[in-house]
Amino acid sequence: MDKSTIVCRCEEINIDEIESAIKMGAHTFDDIKRITRCGMGPCQAKICTTLVQRIISEYTDKPLSDIGPSRMRMPLKLTRIGVLAGNKESSSVISVFSESASKEGETKND
Amino acid sequence: MTNQYDVVVIGSGVIGSSIAYHLSESKQKEILVIDKGFPLSGTSGSTQAWVWVHNKTPSWYGELSMYSAELYPFLERKIGDVEYKRTGGIAPFFNESDREKALRLAEKQAEVGIDIEVLNREQVLEKEPALSPTIAGATYSKIDGNVNPFRLVELYIKAAKRNGAEFSFYNPVIDIDKDNGNFTITTKEGVFYAKQLILAGGPWTKGLGELLGIDIPVKQVRGQIIVTEPLAPLIKHTIGGMRQADNGEILIGYSKEEVGYDRRTTLDVIQDTAKMAVDYLPDLARANIVRCFSGIRVMPHDGFPILGEIPEIDNAFIAVMHSGITLSPLVGTLMTELLTEGETSIDLKRLRFNRFNECNV
Ligand SMILES: Cc1cc2nc3c(=O)[nH]c(=O)nc-3n(C[C@H](O)[C@H](O)[C@H](O)COP(=O)(O)OP(=O)(O)OC[C@H]3O[C@@H](n4cnc5c(N)ncnc54)[C@H](O)[C@@H]3O)c2cc1C
Repeated sequence: MDKSTIVCRCEEINIDEIESAIKMGAHTFDDIKRITRCGMGPCQAKICTTLVQRIISEYTDKPLSDIGPSRMRMPLKLTRIGVLAGNKESSSVISVFSESASKEGETKND
Repeated sequence: MTNQYDVVVIGSGVIGSSIAYHLSESKQKEILVIDKGFPLSGTSGSTQAWVWVHNKTPSWYGELSMYSAELYPFLERKIGDVEYKRTGGIAPFFNESDREKALRLAEKQAEVGIDIEVLNREQVLEKEPALSPTIAGATYSKIDGNVNPFRLVELYIKAAKRNGAEFSFYNPVIDIDKDNGNFTITTKEGVFYAKQLILAGGPWTKGLGELLGIDIPVKQVRGQIIVTEPLAPLIKHTIGGMRQADNGEILIGYSKEEVGYDRRTTLDVIQDTAKMAVDYLPDLARANIVRCFSGIRVMPHDGFPILGEIPEIDNAFIAVMHSGITLSPLVGTLMTELLTEGETSIDLKRLRFNRFNECNV
């Protein structure tokens, strides 16, 4: 196959980019994902999973059955933020402002 | 690969990679970086990646963060495009009564040269029209921005390799010994020797300390983040709580939980995060979430970086901190000074490991 063949449609990542990540030392789908963004797009690796697994298998000479998929992330399918937000009152999320304004000497925000 | 190095760095996240890169610039030291996994598998691969300055208190800590932010444009010229954007930072507040606190923050930070404006509702909405009209105001500073953490770590490593530094991935460090002034580092793949040793293991640093027989006062704090589908440009600034990346996705979240090394996402925190998103930017209610992720912060007990010599073990050093994305260019620079010259251009007294003995924490 041509090295410029697209493997991940969402992020437009081709075979060459995946092989470069493997050359850099990537072993798993997740390693490749973080370096190239392959599989991070809206379809969440539903299209590219087996393609990437095949490239890893060919490159590393490991049987395809030994190559795991990428880590699945909630919510698995596109979900509206408004649906998740509901109308909750309490919150575990902190405000950057109130943290910095609370007490001198105690805060460090991201 | 030989076995003997001048410097061995354990950990190849943003901190270990930055130190290796900065040390490699002079090409005077043989450097090896060892990682048990692949570089972005730790905290540096699961972060918001704001280069955030203006709300960092007390002001000496804000000052350090500012110096580091100032290094980013130069860093980018040296290692390549890390998608650093100095967007300006906005930290909204919702109660008029908070204005007083905002003004005090601005006054304190001005003492060290951090410029903060305290904006009213109209001024905030003029800068960032998508923000909710229910906000009361915000603190704003031009110095804040964000970066692409994946590009950053990858380019630190590539630049370090070009300068001759070596990297060994998928190679856990299992044991560390010291004799005759040399460290013996036993890994899955073999034994290495080093004159100087740096611990940069992020959330695993406590375990590395145990190999050296020391207790490192850090804890693990989980943070959960929502990532949207790519959206048309909606926000221009880095907002305390969210940022929009170059490809259009918005990363949202600011939560803290002490649950050990557990990287699951949980529905309750994700719902709270979604609520925050909508409270800040009502338009986001209609945006789709593609995925959520969580990362584990390594948080020193007093919240500030632990940087410099490890007491009582000559030539052993530590670099462990929260906000490592913001601080990495400065940390790499200071550690290089310390390892090559024995002193640093900025006084590290407040960041030294031995501060914990002094106050008996
Ligand atoms: C949700 C969240 C949001 C954040 N937002 C921001 C932000 O906006 N701005 C900011 O500046 N900071 C932010 N941070 C913090 C920042 O991401 C961290 O400070 C930084 O990534 C730490 O980098 P590190 O190199 O110390 O750790 P890591 O990236 O975890 O790297 C440590 C490395 O050490 C290796 N290692 C550990 N033990 C061993 C061993 N025994 N042998 C070999 N290798 C080993 C690991 O494999 C790992 O690769 C955030 C963190 C989280 C969780």
